[in-house]
Amino acid sequence: MAVLDQVTNANVAEPLPKLCRKLWKGKVAATLDDDGRICRLTCRADYLVQVCQWLMRDLGFAFATLVVEELASAGLSLVYVFYRDAPSPWAYLELQLDAGMTQVPSISGLVHGPSADWHEREAEDLFGLTFEGHPRLGEFVLHEDWPEGVNPMRRSFDARRRKGRELDITWEPPTVVVAPGAFAMPIGPVFSDFAESAHFLLETVGEDVIRTIPRFFYKYRGVEKIAEGKPVDRVLLLAERFSGTAAFAHGLAFCQAIEAIYGIDVPPRALALRTAFAELERLRHHAAVITGICNSTALAVATAQAALIEETLLRLSCDVSRHRYLFGLVIPGGVSRDINNEDWEHLVTAIGALAERLRDLHQMLRYSSSFLDRLEEVGIVSTEQAITYGLVGPVARASGVARDMRKLFPYANYADIDFAVPVEQEGDGYARLRVLFHETEQSASIIRRALLSLPEGPVDAPHASRHAGVALAVVEAPLGAAFHWLRVNEDGTVARYRITPPSFTNWHGFHLAAENFAFQDFPIILASFGLSNAECDR
Amino acid sequence: MADWVLKGLRTGIKSTAYPQLPEKASGVSPGRPIGTSLGSAKRAETLAELCPTGAIIRDGRNVTVDFGRCVHCYRCHPDEGDEAVSWDLSYEWAADRDQLAAAKRKLDRAFGRSLYLRFVDAGACGACVSEARQLNNPYYNMHRLGFFTTPTPRNADVLLVAGPVSDAMRIPLRQTYEAMPTPKRVVAIGACALFGGVFGPSFVASGGAAEIIPVDVEVPGCPPPPLAILHALLVVVERKPPTPLASLPSAQSREMA
Amino acid sequence: MSITTQLFALFFVLCGSGAVAAFILPTRWNPISLAVFGTLTALVLLAAGGLLLLGDAEFHAELWPVLSLGVMTLAADRLSALFLFVAGLVFLPVAIFSGSYLVKYLCHYSLRYFNFLYFALFASIVLVLLAGDALSFLVSWEFVSIVSYLLVNFEYKREESSQAAFVMLAMSEAGTIAVAIAFLLVAVAAGSMEFGALRSAAPSLSATMAGAVFLLSFFGFAVKAGLVPVNSWLPLAHPVAPTNVSALLSAVIVNLGIYGIVRFNLDLVPATTSRPGLIVLVIGSVSALIGILYATVESEMKRLLAHSTIENMGIVAAGIGAAMIFLATGHQIVASIALIAATYHLANHSVYKALLFLGTGAVEAGAHTRDLDRLGGIARVMPWTSVFFLIGVMAIAALPPLNGFVSEWLTLQTVLRSVLLSSTPVKIVFAISGAMLALTAGLAVTCFVKVFAMGFLGLARSEGAANAAEVRIGMRTPLALLAAACILLGLLPTYVIPILDRSVMPLTHESATAALVPPFFSLAAQGQEAIPPKFLAEFHDLGAQVGEGLLPGRGLVVLHRGEEHNPVIFAMSTSYMFVALTGILALTFVVFRLATRGRTLARRAVWAGGLRRLWPGITYTATGFSNPVRVIFGAVLHPAAGEDSTEAVAQHFRTAITRDQVEAHIVDRLVLDPPVSGLRWLAAIVRRMHVGNVNAYAAYVLVALLLVLIIGAGIF
Repeated sequence: MAVLDQVTNANVAEPLPKLCRKLWKGKVAATLDDDGRICRLTCRADYLVQVCQWLMRDLGFAFATLVVEELASAGLSLVYVFYRDAPSPWAYLELQLDAGMTQVPSISGLVHGPSADWHEREAEDLFGLTFEGHPRLGEFVLHEDWPEGVNPMRRSFDARRRKGRELDITWEPPTVVVAPGAFAMPIGPVFSDFAESAHFLLETVGEDVIRTIPRFFYKYRGVEKIAEGKPVDRVLLLAERFSGTAAFAHGLAFCQAIEAIYGIDVPPRALALRTAFAELERLRHHAAVITGICNSTALAVATAQAALIEETLLRLSCDVSRHRYLFGLVIPGGVSRDINNEDWEHLVTAIGALAERLRDLHQMLRYSSSFLDRLEEVGIVSTEQAITYGLVGPVARASGVARDMRKLFPYANYADIDFAVPVEQEGDGYARLRVLFHETEQSASIIRRALLSLPEGPVDAPHASRHAGVALAVVEAPLGAAFHWLRVNEDGTVARYRITPPSFTNWHGFHLAAENFAFQDFPIILASFGLSNAECDR
Repeated sequence: MADWVLKGLRTGIKSTAYPQLPEKASGVSPGRPIGTSLGSAKRAETLAELCPTGAIIRDGRNVTVDFGRCVHCYRCHPDEGDEAVSWDLSYEWAADRDQLAAAKRKLDRAFGRSLYLRFVDAGACGACVSEARQLNNPYYNMHRLGFFTTPTPRNADVLLVAGPVSDAMRIPLRQTYEAMPTPKRVVAIGACALFGGVFGPSFVASGGAAEIIPVDVEVPGCPPPPLAILHALLVVVERKPPTPLASLPSAQSREMA
Repeated sequence: MSITTQLFALFFVLCGSGAVAAFILPTRWNPISLAVFGTLTALVLLAAGGLLLLGDAEFHAELWPVLSLGVMTLAADRLSALFLFVAGLVFLPVAIFSGSYLVKYLCHYSLRYFNFLYFALFASIVLVLLAGDALSFLVSWEFVSIVSYLLVNFEYKREESSQAAFVMLAMSEAGTIAVAIAFLLVAVAAGSMEFGALRSAAPSLSATMAGAVFLLSFFGFAVKAGLVPVNSWLPLAHPVAPTNVSALLSAVIVNLGIYGIVRFNLDLVPATTSRPGLIVLVIGSVSALIGILYATVESEMKRLLAHSTIENMGIVAAGIGAAMIFLATGHQIVASIALIAATYHLANHSVYKALLFLGTGAVEAGAHTRDLDRLGGIARVMPWTSVFFLIGVMAIAALPPLNGFVSEWLTLQTVLRSVLLSSTPVKIVFAISGAMLALTAGLAVTCFVKVFAMGFLGLARSEGAANAAEVRIGMRTPLALLAAACILLGLLPTYVIPILDRSVMPLTHESATAALVPPFFSLAAQGQEAIPPKFLAEFHDLGAQVGEGLLPGRGLVVLHRGEEHNPVIFAMSTSYMFVALTGILALTFVVFRLATRGRTLARRAVWAGGLRRLWPGITYTATGFSNPVRVIFGAVLHPAAGEDSTEAVAQHFRTAITRDQVEAHIVDRLVLDPPVSGLRWLAAIVRRMHVGNVNAYAAYVLVALLLVLIIGAGIF
């Protein structure tokens, strides 16, 4: 299965700095880290677009995230993070702007550029940058009532300040369809029974929807800003709680970043437990999405069956970790709680029974033609679109993009455990459902393998030294790849915490699936993606 | 089609017996710390400092707990170390915000045995939303108690709010509240809706739903389990008494020290 | 001179004065002068028509002899009187409306010219209806065609105006030629042009000749009446004409087509078999369905109303077709009922279509647009216009207790009377027609709900609609008059039916009044046979005798009397419906007020999912509302979907997606395009003769001469 873009052998063989010198002749400086994994490149703004194109098109890198930092006494510093499946997998392209400079060329117009589109818009809103070549499509993170010219992520902005807001009564969202009698159906932000708050504008001429214009960041709580200056243990709470349904995964990423900065070795028992807990969360999360899909197609018995499985998993999580959503479980250095062997055996048995019930449910759903009719060929995302938009997680794997951080950059115990990553090709709602079911099977099997060979030992490692540092941690959250960039100060407070959650990446590609369909399919497409607005909005 | 019917019948009845009988299954509640007598002021002080949100307050040689501020970080949990607070696995957590006003209201005749809920996600993390969603699953099955959800606030009696009320949701929340006809009640779910949670009052988040709309019943927890939300709804229709948010050490534990 | 002759003479004199005054008075007085003279002429016409229709007056005037073809005569029987009365009923409010409406043309076009044409049109219409012989008929018919062309093309500076009016003229002329040939064929057989002579000569026509005459005359008159397949001019001409002219077009001029059909095919040359009637019935039902289908998917108000005219004329034609079949098979009374239904519908249509067109004119004056996709929310600022327009909408959607309901109901009931016929194929045709008419009625409701809801309710979708203002009293009065007429025609069918019956009786030789509105009040009077007691009991149960002693005439229930075993075949009373509806509404209102006595009323903003602000772009448009119909009937409508064109700033930043849908009318596609392409193909072949060489042309002349000589030699 093709992982990322094809990487030619010649490019792989040569080390990056050498290639860089040959091609760019001093305009772009490149150094490789000691372990050969991270290549840091620096260039000037006018070469930015070409270098990014070279990285993405010729060297097979994929765009991960854009980190904008305002380091003291200098201008803004931008780090474009790329990764690929090859030796020296990481490339950090660093761009340092002079003080007062806010213009940067945009890379969203490149062939694989759309993955950077929202990162640039977010940076525009929060840092006041202007990306040339990027059409300013309007307010993104900060909605129209936020005063112009005030950028909350700048140092000069005080997070405790509450600004007065004014309602801009002339604002209208930009519509795209031009046809006689065209109009737009608004959905949200308050809609459905228990839906998260987000707004969708469905442009139509009456029967089928021509284009969907979603609008997010109704739940923006400024996590990245309020983390700045706080001690690490306080920010751990933020990392867990900004997206409660993937709390363990994001908390784990944060802890891995801390461990990378402080050089903490996590004991093997803790690694195995972390793997088991992460898969438990994945299992429960996927059960919730399956419940949502069955609910959207109004198949009541299937919804009830899936909901039973979800609740059982929640109670199981609570039994092993005291909390139904695994809050407060992962700490820098390990996990906060050890479990004895009988509880583990009970957990493994219970997981086995649940996996059996999920298999049954899948089997029954496969033969419900009225259910399949609503999902097959509905909400299709093609493989090229998934690659261009840099989609991640089960959504991307249902469209043929086999990208899984557990295989690409194994963390916790994943390197020692053999498991498969299910991939489907059609990219429609049914493909996404199948991926979810197969991943739950794999999760159950990983939990069993992790726990049956649980090494003895402590479950956390003490750490006393504190120094400044920066690290990027990657985990495969239930919804896909999550990148956490963390920079800490000397005194143990956080200087910059940049989270790129999988929902942020995937919501960008949602409109690809939600075009040229009938109204009634919209809730089903929404449910088949199973994304989280809390995760995206932070 | 017939397969589904048979499957449903074979699964049987899974609904909890709550509120007729207490729910005994494990895993239904994350539990919470309760007021404890520790015997030494120093130990009480250490414990109070452990809490990141200030839910544990030193009171002489005891600690009292403000449930409304607990975010379930488990740093004070008995498993964690020597300084530990007593732990309670209850789930009936809902409290009246204004007890005097609550005493004056006589509600259940107006709502009878049928209550319509409108849920608004005002910046919640997803866990509170998920717990509220569980109310419809066969285990909790709130329909048997006469609680239903409606997508339009025009038909709603109770507004469930979760989240610290991010700035972008202030106006939608206010509009939803005003679109509901009287009599109406507001239930704030979760630590974020009570005081802003870990996101607290900031440049884009308020300090809880009470800053925007009048709140009647509060449910602490991060997130409160479905049974706690159910308890809150029963408090709204006065079928169950509320539990106060402040927990003082019981006389028993005072004697033990 | 009899009083009617005096009135008609006065009418023509006033028309002439109106035309002359147009040139004498200063330009800015022209609208007022039109209103004054127009009102006077219409009132005189109403008086004359009324006397002829309701009383026993007669009118006959001989003008002058023409060669050996006969004398040009003007005569009016009750049938013409009916059409005259309806014409007067429409011209009166149109004249009042024009007084305010024409002001907008003051500086751009010549209003003197308009006034002159207006009175010329009025006079020619009356002449057509009064014509007593074929020559005067054809001459006045031609006048009507030309003057209406000139009026439709009044805004001649606009390109689409000239094109549409030209199509109308061309089709009119084609129809006139067909009609003229038909008249001539009969006149040749009769030896004279007068209608009386034609009538007596009709039975002597051979079957083929009668068939040819029928086809020519029917399709010739169908052009004017706007029936499929010769209706292409209607939707083109209405939007470009000034609104008061559109009202006249739809409410009076298309009536002339129907008048022609009735006069020629039922009076002068009645059919002896059911075949002509079947053709008329089928064409009527198909026109009705196609008309309403296109109206439902249209969003420009005048074009929508034009399609609706096609629909209504289809219903009238269906009634006439049914009458022809019943006549040919010997069921005179049912034929009478069918004709009464058809003429009732004609009168109703004139009234409510005029109301809707004038209402559109008022909307255009108040909100400056006629596009439903750009209107909205004007009910609040134009309350009077909205109320009157609503009455027109309810009438055309055939909602009880208004007039549209009465005539559509009667039409459907007569179609159901096909049980009396013996031939099964004919009954099947009736069944299919009935189904099509029923579908039409359903689509009509959809269409006009869309018109009123999208046009008047909701949010304003454009600047013009947002800044709308109520129109002047001069425009509202005619709307009120027509709305009142709709209501009266709806609530009092039992008074209208006997009048219509007297008009159609000469055609069917049987009066249907006794069958349709039996005289409950006066059982033994005036030679009516006594009603058997069994019948009386049934009628009593229907409340037929309510109002005895109080109300003049025949009570409030329309019922069709049948045989012994089935005393009442169908019955209806809009008056009772009205009373019941009012009672229920009043009761509901009272109960509601009592039940909510102590409660306070709170007004809140519209709930829109928490959106901070509503803007018109999120409300349904008329196109969106009718899209399901467009999709379901796609095979008929055949929208040729243009490509979606996309503009993009960069690879995935799309800034605009344009979607165009072009629709060609099915009649144009199936009926007009093939001959047109055929002619073009033929012309392309013939074009090869034009080589440009003078010698070649000389050779052509020589060849032609030789051919003529050869043929001439061959004949002689």
